[in-house]
Amino acid sequence: VAFKYLRSLVAAGIAMMFIIMAVATFAASRTSVEEVSEGLTCQCGCGLTVANCNHPQCEFSVPVRQQIETMISRGMGRTEIISFFRARYGEKILSAPTTQGFNLLAWIIPFAAVFAGCLLIVGAIFRWRANQFIEEQTFESGLAPDDPVLRHHLEQEIRE
Amino acid sequence: MPLIGQLALALALIMASYSIVANVIGSRRNVPAMLSSARHALWAMAAMVSVGVLALWTSLLRNDLSLEYVASYTSLTLPTFYKVTALWGGQQGSLLFWTWLLSIFTAIVAFQRRRDPVLTPYALAVLAGLAIFFLFMLNFVTRPFDMVVKVPADGQDLNPLLQNYWMAIHPPSLYTGYVSASVPFAFGTAALLTGRFDDSWIRSTRRWAVFSWFFLTLGNLFGARWAYEVLGWGGYWAWDPVENAAFMPWLVMTAYLHSVMIQERKDMLKVWNLALIGMVFCLTLFGTFITRSGVISSVHSFTQSGLGPFFLTFLIAITVSYAVLLLARVKQLRSPAEMESYLSREAAFLFNNLVLVGIAFAVFWGTLFPVLSEAVRGVKITVGPPFFDKVNAPLALALIFLMGVGPLIAWRRSSFFSLAKTFAGPVFFGVVTGVSAAFAGLREWYALTAFSLAAFALGTVFVEFRRGASARQHMVSERPATAVVNLIVKNNRRYGGYIIHVGVALAFVGIVGSSFFKTEVKKTVKPGSAFDVGPYELVFLGLSHDETPHLESARAEVEVLRGGKSVAVMRPGKLFYKRPQQPATSVAIRSTPASDLYVVLAGIDDNSGLVTFQVFLTPLVFWLWAGGFIMAFGTVIVMWPNVRERAAIAAAVRAPATIQREPVIVPGGD
Repeated sequence: VAFKYLRSLVAAGIAMMFIIMAVATFAASRTSVEEVSEGLTCQCGCGLTVANCNHPQCEFSVPVRQQIETMISRGMGRTEIISFFRARYGEKILSAPTTQGFNLLAWIIPFAAVFAGCLLIVGAIFRWRANQFIEEQTFESGLAPDDPVLRHHLEQEIRE
Repeated sequence: MPLIGQLALALALIMASYSIVANVIGSRRNVPAMLSSARHALWAMAAMVSVGVLALWTSLLRNDLSLEYVASYTSLTLPTFYKVTALWGGQQGSLLFWTWLLSIFTAIVAFQRRRDPVLTPYALAVLAGLAIFFLFMLNFVTRPFDMVVKVPADGQDLNPLLQNYWMAIHPPSLYTGYVSASVPFAFGTAALLTGRFDDSWIRSTRRWAVFSWFFLTLGNLFGARWAYEVLGWGGYWAWDPVENAAFMPWLVMTAYLHSVMIQERKDMLKVWNLALIGMVFCLTLFGTFITRSGVISSVHSFTQSGLGPFFLTFLIAITVSYAVLLLARVKQLRSPAEMESYLSREAAFLFNNLVLVGIAFAVFWGTLFPVLSEAVRGVKITVGPPFFDKVNAPLALALIFLMGVGPLIAWRRSSFFSLAKTFAGPVFFGVVTGVSAAFAGLREWYALTAFSLAAFALGTVFVEFRRGASARQHMVSERPATAVVNLIVKNNRRYGGYIIHVGVALAFVGIVGSSFFKTEVKKTVKPGSAFDVGPYELVFLGLSHDETPHLESARAEVEVLRGGKSVAVMRPGKLFYKRPQQPATSVAIRSTPASDLYVVLAGIDDNSGLVTFQVFLTPLVFWLWAGGFIMAFGTVIVMWPNVRERAAIAAAVRAPATIQREPVIVPGGD
């Protein structure tokens, strides 16, 4: 049975390997223009990044992409290019908040919330495990719960 | 017809208002005649809203341009199919459609009253209260039957982006998901109001919650597919505020559907489950508020509507009242909770809840952060895809990992030894996948981890099916295929859930593959020229033009060759809608399980005859849609009526409300 099980897993693994190899055939690293233009929001009103603007003749994203290409050919890096556009259009052109000042909260709060939730769950399970332990102890030692009515009933039943 | 429609809406408002009074008095004083009268009023409300919808549909189909709505969202040349879908293409119509769904669902709940005679009157009062808000809007604020001063010769036409078959089914699916979430919310509120805190409200509305989740899934999926086919940028999700607003209730409803299993089994997490269903409903209202307020700019918004203040007030009122009610009942809701181990399915479900709600919170936070930034700093900023991708990427990995752990870990407690034994196969499968991917040349660590975890999650489902099928084979001597089918039939909730997990894992593979390895080529060519995109050679054969009274179109004929052999002829086009004078793109997609070839006709130079193509080669995106439909299929299995489960629900509801019962285990409740 174990061999059969292993065999089916290996078969599935090989199938998965083929799929991934097919993907790898198409895999290619992103161009620098795309990398930079993903950091900028198109100002034509499409609500997408400069990389993804869906207006083929967009008056904003098309020239900006060309400008990025020129800047890359001059040897400018991603940060430098993005700073250039930020200086020209303001912070609204950035497609994600910066990691400074008030904007840092945008990045920190979601992870802080999940971390706090994690602590809460760990603490809650710890408490619930203690409840379980107390109940087991109570059960095993034959002691009745602290409820006087229950204790009375229990003692009466034992007497009978 | 408009007069009949508006009159019907006014009557519906009166009926809804009366039903609340009758329901509350009938319940408090125990007067069955009043309760019966309240139900009849709600059925009358549903009938009246239906008359309103039929009146608007008739006006749309008859091109009644004297009606402002018809003149704004249709034209004489608009195809009939889109005249039907124009009902939800504009502000007032979509609000009417929403109210119609709410009234139908309320009528169904009234019909199912015997399932829970204690909670139903209160739940109906809550649903009627919600209907009153929407009917008030339709009667006094945004009327669908307003007339124009001067009847135009033709209408302004439906937005060209909405003239697509996916758009015909995306809003109804999403609205159905949104509105049906109000039923479990109403029952949760009823439980809080009546003090009946056992899990009968969950059992009575479990199918409604799954139904809502099913349509939220489809709504999100269809919306993504619409964006993929219509917007022409090769993507399907842009983290637009309205997309986010549709995604958040889906996440929280997923958390709720997992969390209620713990309450059903262990009578725990009562406060949390009530909080979750409250969150789901408030998030659906939040989505509506975003779409109609214009407070956050979005491509989907009805920004000129001015409904924002009404929706904001309603949203705040509902959120605050529900929170106050829940807080007031917290002490009574507390139960002696016990959990044996961190290594248990209960613990895995709790962490799964954390991650799901964490992602929903991250999306909520990112959506609202521009408003917060403007309020605090006075600076307008954009929170776009890079933010959401970076924040959600690690959480998504954790979610897929937990999705893999959940099915195989035991309830109550597991030992390290049993865990190692149970998970050896799936872990091996995950590792093999990751190592193979690395050998195949993948170097993106995130993609490698994601594929490995997806394989691990698929492996756990495989193991679980194999275990169940083997047991059946031994016990009742069934053939393997019959054993698998019977396994699903006899325990549809559990195995339907696993099929959903398969769908999620495949969709995740599709999302990662299409996000990391998409390639783009832009070429300007003349007829007869060819260019390469990945393994394909594209030959531009020529351009053809067409004209109808509704639109003009130009289509390029592109032959696709692979290894010198012709594999397809694709026809991307550019459309020009005459009435609104607006261009649109018609993309051509050749989809295979390995990759999608996505061709956009980006530009035509009439003088030189040159044509510009934008071509995307997107690996694995096929699996996103396939995974989505597998999720939907799994949900249908979960929702399928189960005789044993119905008996358990009936038993739970029959039990006296005041007595703390031992939790009733519904068969197949994992």
